Amino acid sequence: MRFPKLRRVTLYILLIFFAFLFLLPLWTLITTSLKTDEDVIYTTPVEPPLSPTTEPLITAFNLMKRSLLNSFTFTIAAMILSCLLGSINGYILTKIRFRGSNMVFLFFTIGIFIPYQAVLVPLVLTISKLGLYNNIGGLILTHTAYGIPITTLLFRNFYALIPDSVIMAAKTDGAGTWTIYRRIVLPLSLLPFVVAAIFQFTSIWNDFLFGVALARGPGARPASVELANLRGTTAVTWNLLMAGTLWYALPVLVIYFALAKYLMRGYMAGAVKG
Amino acid sequence: MRLPSRKVFTIDRMVTSFFLLLSLALVGYFVYVCIGWNVIVSLSDWKGLTPSYNIVGFDQYSSLFNDPVFLTSLKNNLILITLFVPGSLFLGLFLAILLDLKVRGEGVFRGIYLLPFALSFVVTATLWAWMYNPSIGVINTLLGKTGLEFLKSRWITDSNIAMYCVVLAIIWQFSGYTMLIFLAGIRAIPESQIRAAEVDGASGFDVYKRVVIPQLKAPALSAFVVLVVFALKAFDFIFVLTGGGPGYSTYVLPIMMFRETFSMTHFAYGAAIATILFLLALAIVLPYLYLSFRREKE
Repeated sequence: MRFPKLRRVTLYILLIFFAFLFLLPLWTLITTSLKTDEDVIYTTPVEPPLSPTTEPLITAFNLMKRSLLNSFTFTIAAMILSCLLGSINGYILTKIRFRGSNMVFLFFTIGIFIPYQAVLVPLVLTISKLGLYNNIGGLILTHTAYGIPITTLLFRNFYALIPDSVIMAAKTDGAGTWTIYRRIVLPLSLLPFVVAAIFQFTSIWNDFLFGVALARGPGARPASVELANLRGTTAVTWNLLMAGTLWYALPVLVIYFALAKYLMRGYMAGAVKG
Repeated sequence: MRLPSRKVFTIDRMVTSFFLLLSLALVGYFVYVCIGWNVIVSLSDWKGLTPSYNIVGFDQYSSLFNDPVFLTSLKNNLILITLFVPGSLFLGLFLAILLDLKVRGEGVFRGIYLLPFALSFVVTATLWAWMYNPSIGVINTLLGKTGLEFLKSRWITDSNIAMYCVVLAIIWQFSGYTMLIFLAGIRAIPESQIRAAEVDGASGFDVYKRVVIPQLKAPALSAFVVLVVFALKAFDFIFVLTGGGPGYSTYVLPIMMFRETFSMTHFAYGAAIATILFLLALAIVLPYLYLSFRREKE
């Protein structure tokens, strides 16, 4: 669409104004985490540090390294498990027709939308009964189970695009369902696996509710819970808090800048957050 | 050609069925059994650390509706639904239209606007705690520097406006998401329709009003459902930013549920709040799923 010159200038002013609003909190995150305690008081948050220091970053890393490692462990494990199961489910729901397959899909889809508060009490009881409270294994199990609905949806949408004739040809060659999955469907699945894996990594990494309900102890405590605890500690200075925030946000920021395209595909597949 | 032996075929089937059944069992237990179990707890008198399944009916529910904290929380969830949901939809639509005007560097702007949505609520809540900090925080010092001293405020420490500060911050986080949904919807409209409207003499925003926006009902509906469900279950962000305070001014149902259950061990009471949340979400989600399943069949 064509616009007169003045209008185009206004358009760019608006775009840049909004970009400023969206980036302002992130800018102050970086400036503040590089400041000394004095700089935090004597400069405004938007100003860069007078004498940049990495001290808050080092202190924050030492405070958070255990929980960051915890988060990496359960996030990657649950990401892999939920993607594998979602892929198999997506394949079965699109390529092997059986009575009630639509009902099965609905059964999974409802799981995407439920507020997790509705399962929280029984979940905590179950995980405790299994001896997995304050345990990485409990978080892996929980995130895998609640990840299956969305990964099933993501893979199902992709597999619906593979022509049935490809499957039929393999079937007449005598291949069974699992063989078809491994030899034909799986090799075609690189893109959905990237999309689902990135989506799952960011949502599990970002989770707070399951972490705070299931693993508040130091052994398995996720980085999100550690950071929230840090925020709740009144003695913590803003530069230290921002440095901790930066460490916790870093993996998602890296993924976002490297692979935003794939993350957007996940969001557009009817994805939810929280 | 190699003929399939009956045995291979069966083992093949068994492996696939095993994985599907495993998923069904996990989702069946962790979603459906847990929801049912939660409802049962909500009908009991369980208070304290020792489980009690002594069914007392709807006692918890009737005490809830006489509990001022519950009513405050419910009111705050309604504030989220009535302000945050339309706020994110309109800002997202506005940004999507701006980006659709053949903008140079569209990808960069899109990336910037969507960035907050990718971040954890714990991250964004900490960032906004720094923005809203009344003494040395970002907003107040910026206002001081730019001569807008009179706009300074106590933000999240002022119980009269704390909830609106929450609304503003989560609009910031979610409007990139609605922008993405709307932009995809706009791009799906055939170029020829827009041309036709331009030939008819429509120009600029007229084209959007007459041709584009009326065709965005489907993306608007799916974004609406996602946002309303979020407005009901919003927990992490508020818990980390204000903890529900000052006083009860930013209490929402999920925060009350968490406090009642895990801080005060009022398990039955907390479960009743959770059940109400679940029913409210279901009232939005089920009609939506029904509609989209029917559309898919056509």
